[in-house]
Amino acid sequence: MNNKKHNQRIISGLSYVVLVLCCLIVLLPLSWMVITSLKSMQDITLSKGLDLFPSGPSIANFINIWKDYPIATYFKNSILSVGGSTIIGVFCASLCGYALSRYTFKGKEFLLKFLLVTQMFPAVMKIIPYYKILVTVHLNNTITGLMIVYASFTIPFCTWMMYGYFKSISTVLDEAARVDGCSAFYTFWKIILPLALPGLVATTIYAFLQNWNEYMFASVLMSADAKKTITYAISTMADAYKIQWNYLMCIAIVSSIPTLIVFIVLQKHLIAGMTAGAVKE
Amino acid sequence: MNNSKTRLSARQIRTKMTPYWFIAPATITILCLVVYPILYGIYISFFDTNLVNKWKFVGLKYYLQSMTDASFLHSLGKTMIFTVCVVGGHFIIGFILASILNGKIKFRTIFRGILILPWLFPDVVIAYLYKWILNTQGGILNQLLMEMHIISEPVGWLSTSATAFPCVIMVSIWKGFPLVLVQILAGMQTISADLYEAADIDGATRMQKFRYVTLPSLKPILTTILILDTVWVFKQFTLIWLMTSGGPGSATMVSAIEIYKNAFSYFKYGYASAQSVYILLICYLIGVVFRRLLRDE
Repeated sequence: MNNKKHNQRIISGLSYVVLVLCCLIVLLPLSWMVITSLKSMQDITLSKGLDLFPSGPSIANFINIWKDYPIATYFKNSILSVGGSTIIGVFCASLCGYALSRYTFKGKEFLLKFLLVTQMFPAVMKIIPYYKILVTVHLNNTITGLMIVYASFTIPFCTWMMYGYFKSISTVLDEAARVDGCSAFYTFWKIILPLALPGLVATTIYAFLQNWNEYMFASVLMSADAKKTITYAISTMADAYKIQWNYLMCIAIVSSIPTLIVFIVLQKHLIAGMTAGAVKE
Repeated sequence: MNNSKTRLSARQIRTKMTPYWFIAPATITILCLVVYPILYGIYISFFDTNLVNKWKFVGLKYYLQSMTDASFLHSLGKTMIFTVCVVGGHFIIGFILASILNGKIKFRTIFRGILILPWLFPDVVIAYLYKWILNTQGGILNQLLMEMHIISEPVGWLSTSATAFPCVIMVSIWKGFPLVLVQILAGMQTISADLYEAADIDGATRMQKFRYVTLPSLKPILTTILILDTVWVFKQFTLIWLMTSGGPGSATMVSAIEIYKNAFSYFKYGYASAQSVYILLICYLIGVVFRRLLRDE
């Protein structure tokens, strides 16, 4: 018995060692990003030997990037296209996930399977057709075009996620609502969806992160400078013949702020939501 | 009588139609923006085309050509190694950390919050951050290693064939493990404590509990995450493209980059499409195989 307790203690100690080690592996590169962003270009180019910390840390870079680059425009483009696509995508996905969890209908099994299969289509394969479609309907280099494209990316997986949450909610309420004469949409919108709120939040975060992260399609579909999204803009800044690492790290941090905020604000719901629904089959 | 009968059937029809109204927005979007582009991509693969005015039907030529194309086969091999290493890394790290976080741990929220961080930064940001850390000139890794006298000359981590591929794999593992961790953790928290208590009463060891309680309960979730993570990693483009563009030489040339270059650097649209059809088939096969293997042993 004593031996068992002893083992327990070793395992628990080991757990903390592993956790702290992993946290360091995560935090060290990220803190290097912050440190670099506070350095002047002189600190970076003239440093001899190991200069971990800036000689005079300053947030000048953070102010200058707004003057030197149209960051505000890039940000606006990203927020509008990603925000819009998240709302459209999650709305469609909730409707579809609800139907899949509540009704039996022809083609249901096929649809469920197909949603998973869509994840397998190589993105490169879609990019040529997308370009052609958007040019044909005159939506290339428009926020609307990118919004629709992004929504289509998130719908399959978000449907799958919402389907999981809805399944974990009892159908008793649906039946009660039907007896009371509520329409199907009213039942979904006013009764079941509010109950699925944690799941809805988790799905929304997922969709937002996924699209904010997107690079390849933005680079092909939004080539005009005034229409670039922030993630794509970063890469074009770095393409210049000399990379200003301190500027680049600044913009990298600024571009990550929205996802960090979304996450910090909604973190509690995210974990709760994932626990309630998880990605079940 | 007759009247009420028709009314009833009208209502029945309406009830029958309800689910279709619900799935319509999602399905229509998927049809227009997923199914149509894929069909169009398959269509292109049969043509020698510049997508504007040259459309020469070449049949299966590109498919046959790909099969003997050394650089395409090389990229497939690279992709396989990349996928196995990265997905393996995600699951090993994800599993270990999820098991720890699922136990009695102080500061759990803080640990969890930190460990999720890599997921929250865009691929572009992470790619340039590591490009900077691993940079030959002034990169912190070289500086640290030189300071510790482990190396005497700066190493071009991303510009040397031997180191570029392992570096890209490491970064991909670092970036992608949080999603797997969160999903596994979520799954673990749905396992009823009763099951573990029952196992305790039966005198099960820690390993036995893991083998006979945790794994079987997680299996449905694990299968789905495993399939999704595999196909996502298989298609990984942004990180590698921005860090090495497939180089040096073809050391990090995975299929997604090979195809992208064929399409947008060499403008061989038909050829690139044929190759992506192969990728589609491979991803689909991976899904089928995993399902078969993990369904019921």
